[in-house]
Amino acid sequence: MEIIETVQKTETIESIEKEVQVTTQDNKFIKGIKLFAFFVKIGCFTFGGGWSILAQMEQEFVNKRHDITKEELLDIVSVGKSVPGIMITNISMIFGYQVAGIWGGICSVIGITFPAVVILSIITVCYAAFKDNYWVGCALSGIRAAVAPIIFSSMWSLGKTALKDKFSWCICGVVFLLCSFTSINNVIIILMGVVLAIIRMGVIRKNAA
Amino acid sequence: MLLELYWTFVKVGFTSFGGTSMIPLISQEMLSHEWMTAEDFSNIIAIAEMTPGPFGVNCATFAGMQVAGILGGIIAVLGVLLPAFTLTIFVAACFSKFKTSQTFNGILVVIRPACIGMIIAVIISLLQTNYLVGGTINLYTLGIGALALLLLMKYKWSVPKVIICSAILGIICIGVL
Repeated sequence: MEIIETVQKTETIESIEKEVQVTTQDNKFIKGIKLFAFFVKIGCFTFGGGWSILAQMEQEFVNKRHDITKEELLDIVSVGKSVPGIMITNISMIFGYQVAGIWGGICSVIGITFPAVVILSIITVCYAAFKDNYWVGCALSGIRAAVAPIIFSSMWSLGKTALKDKFSWCICGVVFLLCSFTSINNVIIILMGVVLAIIRMGVIRKNAA
Repeated sequence: MLLELYWTFVKVGFTSFGGTSMIPLISQEMLSHEWMTAEDFSNIIAIAEMTPGPFGVNCATFAGMQVAGILGGIIAVLGVLLPAFTLTIFVAACFSKFKTSQTFNGILVVIRPACIGMIIAVIISLLQTNYLVGGTINLYTLGIGALALLLLMKYKWSVPKVIICSAILGIICIGVL
């Protein structure tokens, strides 16, 4: 038996083997610290939001450490996306929670936000110092010219999934008019949307019953 | 003022669903409190898109620091993270129940189109601040905008690349010419 076991062990790649052993032996505290370190690492190198972070999470936790299965990760993503707040921090929270409880969740969220806060702090200080410089000002007006197209293109891809029927077009139109021609606060508009959604679900459920 | 800042970003956090949908909310709060000019706000979007990390966190840090220094930045980020630390912990704890629940998805069906409506309104106001200088249309910035749109939509360039490109064009067109 022992021989078979050792043969099997040498067959698996050594590094993966070590990772798995370490993660199963760790207590929650160490796991939390590891989650923090991992999320700091990906927090430093991910541009433009959630999806590239997900790819890295899949590589690290599904393929390498086998902490969760791919299906579990997909479930986490679909729930994390629909909870209010920042998508990727929600996903980190649920994921961390599943690996190491509340402590793990908090470590993950702080890990993913930490690099962003540090980088942005530095940039903000530079921004305040340099924005009145002539050349920086010119570069910034060039950049500002690109902001509307950037928002437009991300709205475009959001629109592909969000605007599917007459109902959603109506909502979109009404909200646009409310935003442009009244001074109703956007927060209020969102809350009204939530109430409308709950009423709508109630009606659908009643019709189905 | 710090409390006001915190409360503002708590509101933004709980009513936003995903990166871009945050822009209208932050824009309105910043401008109505006079914490930022429309120009500052345009710059912050570009900066947040260009730096690593989640967009909402980047926006919150920048806005908070503009208003009240480093402490302001931390307060704003804590505000915007509050949903993750409360609602999402709760969701994570009852994860198996939420996995099959349709409630959040049902809400999103209404909220997503609403966000698009808001974003269109923001884009229109951005067009005014970024392409109109003293009542006339600035052809240089309009040209850069059109080029950026083409690069993004047709040639699928990544956002940081487009931003760097337009910064260089800005220096050449506006600075040198």
